[in-house]
Amino acid sequence: MRTFSELELDALTEAFNLSLGEAAAAFSSIVREEIELSVPTIEVLSRDELIQRLENGRPAGTDERLCRINQHFNAASGFQTDALLLFPEHGSLEIVRRMLGDDTPIQHITELEQDALAEIGNIVINSCMSSLANLFGTEMVGSLPRVQSRTAASLLDDKDASDVILVARIGMTMAAYNLSGFVLFIMNVPSIESFMAQVSRLFKLPEHGAGQALP
Amino acid sequence: MSFQSLLGDSVDIGLILLDSSGRIRLWNHWIEQRAKCSAEQASGLSLTEAFGEHIDPRVALVVREAIDFGWSARLSHALHPMPLPLFPPGGECSERTKQSVDITPVDCDGTRHCLLQIRDVTETVRREALLKHQARQLRNDLQSLSRAQVELQRSEMRFRELARQAPAGLFEADSQACCTFLNERCEQVLGHSLEAVSGTPWTELLPIGEQARVRTSWRLAVESATRFAEEFRYTRRDGKQLWLRAEAGPLRDQRGSISGFIGTMVDVTEFHERATRNEFRANHDGLTALLNRDRFERHLRAALSGAREVNDRVALLFIDLDQFKQINDTHGHQAGDIVLKAIAGRVRRVVRSEDMVARYGGDEFAVLLNGIGDEATLRGIVAKISQAVALPINLGSCHVRVGSSIGLAVYPDHGSDPDSLLTHADKAMYSAKRSRCNKAISGQV
Repeated sequence: MRTFSELELDALTEAFNLSLGEAAAAFSSIVREEIELSVPTIEVLSRDELIQRLENGRPAGTDERLCRINQHFNAASGFQTDALLLFPEHGSLEIVRRMLGDDTPIQHITELEQDALAEIGNIVINSCMSSLANLFGTEMVGSLPRVQSRTAASLLDDKDASDVILVARIGMTMAAYNLSGFVLFIMNVPSIESFMAQVSRLFKLPEHGAGQALP
Repeated sequence: MSFQSLLGDSVDIGLILLDSSGRIRLWNHWIEQRAKCSAEQASGLSLTEAFGEHIDPRVALVVREAIDFGWSARLSHALHPMPLPLFPPGGECSERTKQSVDITPVDCDGTRHCLLQIRDVTETVRREALLKHQARQLRNDLQSLSRAQVELQRSEMRFRELARQAPAGLFEADSQACCTFLNERCEQVLGHSLEAVSGTPWTELLPIGEQARVRTSWRLAVESATRFAEEFRYTRRDGKQLWLRAEAGPLRDQRGSISGFIGTMVDVTEFHERATRNEFRANHDGLTALLNRDRFERHLRAALSGAREVNDRVALLFIDLDQFKQINDTHGHQAGDIVLKAIAGRVRRVVRSEDMVARYGGDEFAVLLNGIGDEATLRGIVAKISQAVALPINLGSCHVRVGSSIGLAVYPDHGSDPDSLLTHADKAMYSAKRSRCNKAISGQV
């Protein structure tokens, strides 16, 4: 799998920090509440490593499902990525119901709530991607959001095992809630190379491989 | 009709295609029906021109983003209930159709267009509102159910504790009289634990002589669904003789049929003994334990009516002690009491057990003899009594002797009713006393 130098990871963190800041602002405006996003932590993982991470992260003995909002982006500059927002189902339900002023005791998310969640995810992902597109000076055409609710183990079944996943973990604090979620960027190998090339250009990093030689 | 429009008009969603400057290129039949405006009329107009000012401002924003940046967007019903002024086809223009709108960039003819897909979610909204209503109702029902359960537990605990501490035995039994519950007190009274007796009817714990009566009474109570109440003798395993009183009322199951009885089991031994003592006292003389005058006269009346029916003879004896007053005066009242008790015992022993002996007054006794034989036998009994009374009586410090005067009256010879017999016997006794006095004065014994 493609590995990243510390310098590259720093550059990625910086890029996402900028774009997620935009996302938080967009989210705040739609829920009309102050939302704070923590500084993201960036990791590069394989699909199976991520699943392992997600399964370990959930409270023991629970079978908490995760809500995933997925959009596919096609960058004119030559890479494709799936952008995913992941939240625990319960937490995302609480946010949606809080926004809709609803306290109905239904365990799973309903169709309309899923739609609302799609819209929220759509806004967050779009503004994140728009900021990346701006940074890279390229256009990124995005698909409609898809919402799915699944267990961690089956969450990424539709993704390829060889795909590289950029994982940005963000904490969202909204009024009384602490909701921890992930923003994932899933790319195949040619895409990650193209993506990293643009990040390197943006931050004026040395070419890939030469980074290791720097003192 | 082109294939494109055939496709567009066949689907159950609204489709609006905007060109790169945001002008309507076409919309399908679905939109025509709901916007009350044909595709020809709308063609070339902007959304605002076609629909007026009543469009959710976010629609215009995301359309711009789709055309300029290639982003897709969803406008959910929850956050944007009715973004476009679309109305139910054929219906009145009073309420907008509930919508969910997807906006996607599409490239055609080398330029960026924008496609709006509008879904009617009215039915989904209705269904989810119903679902949520039911969920709320369910939650309320559950809450009241759990409140009821807590209350039930509390009341169960209350009754369990009450049963445990109750000073009376409590029992529950099925219609076959097999116990299904005994409180501690009831187990103490019966001297058995529930486990030991639950398999057999409790009536079988009773002495043989009581079983038939109590069993019948239980059966009648079950058959008529009435209260059961019985008193019976009970021999506990430790040998103690008890009187118990059981009272129980029917328990009904959900269909209203009798499923068993619940009630109390009380040890009434003391009450019984006291009642027996009281009854004895009411009918007997406290000093001699012989019948009292009142009870004796009742026996007399009963004996006479019995004798009348079977043509039998009944004898009544009046016994008056001679010189009793002198013993009282000389030796004191305690000595008098000893004499009276001794005489009572002797008379009792002379007659048969079925004969009645009473203390009739201070030093007067009466005897009722049923089914007497001939005159000679009767004279024999009178003589025996006379002799028995005349034997010396030990007062501890000395012996005394008392004589007696006996008056005799025989039914039917001297009278046919109690009063005339009593009067006759009384007179006969006095006449005997006089003649004894005369004998004493003239030196005869």
